[in-house]
Amino acid sequence: MIPLSWYLILSATLFSIGLMGFIIRRDLIVMLMCLEIMFNSVNVALASFSYYNSNLSGQIFVLFSIAIAACEAVIGLAIVLAIVRNTGINHSDEINNLRG
Amino acid sequence: MNPIIEHAFFIYFFVSLCILSIAVIASKNIIHSAFSLLIFLLHIAAVFLFLNAEFLMIIQIIVYVGGVLALFIFAIMVMNLREELRHKRFVRFSFLGLAVSLIFFASLYIFLSNVKSNQNVLTYSDTNLLGKLLYSYYLLPFEILSLVLLIALIGGIIIAKKTPVDGDRR
Repeated sequence: MIPLSWYLILSATLFSIGLMGFIIRRDLIVMLMCLEIMFNSVNVALASFSYYNSNLSGQIFVLFSIAIAACEAVIGLAIVLAIVRNTGINHSDEINNLRG
Repeated sequence: MNPIIEHAFFIYFFVSLCILSIAVIASKNIIHSAFSLLIFLLHIAAVFLFLNAEFLMIIQIIVYVGGVLALFIFAIMVMNLREELRHKRFVRFSFLGLAVSLIFFASLYIFLSNVKSNQNVLTYSDTNLLGKLLYSYYLLPFEILSLVLLIALIGGIIIAKKTPVDGDRR
């Protein structure tokens, strides 16, 4: 049987890679993709806790997390589209005015 | 299941998930990173199947691959980023981000490397019990979640709506 720590190390590795991508990439859409990677790694951790404690509440929290991630993707992509349409900028380090 | 085969499959998924998530970050073309994210999400669904969570695997494929990723590809097509290939990909101080994520991973690894787990695992996947739990004990968060989805839908339409062109708006 695969031990619990392997799943947690998998989750930590994916979360670190997503965090690194979120910090170092310039494109706004790829930053949102890195957010999706981080959401998925946390979902793996919750599902593994649910499996190793034989308790189904972890899977329900994964369901809620997936729904919140869908909302986050919708709002984030709408904001990126509004920024690109209003200012023509799609890099995170070139946005320098607050009035749009 | 034979434990050697199980470990081999888990190591395959570990390595390929790491490679795919690095490919999402490092690829020049945005549409290539979107397709790397597609394969990544399918591998995450397979990891859910390892954990006896078949319903989560179905939800992962339907919501992420069918919804979120299609939304990403539509957004890339709407934004029409054709001159994007010449620009540089990373911010100026990208080694600092690398250092931050390495420190974060090291500090997580110290805690996670010797985690104890008990032996009575979830032996079969029970979608029936999951539905009963979702509609009895977690009923109020479920209803609140439906409201959150509705508000996100309306907010996304309002934010991304094309504003009327007049004098002072750009």
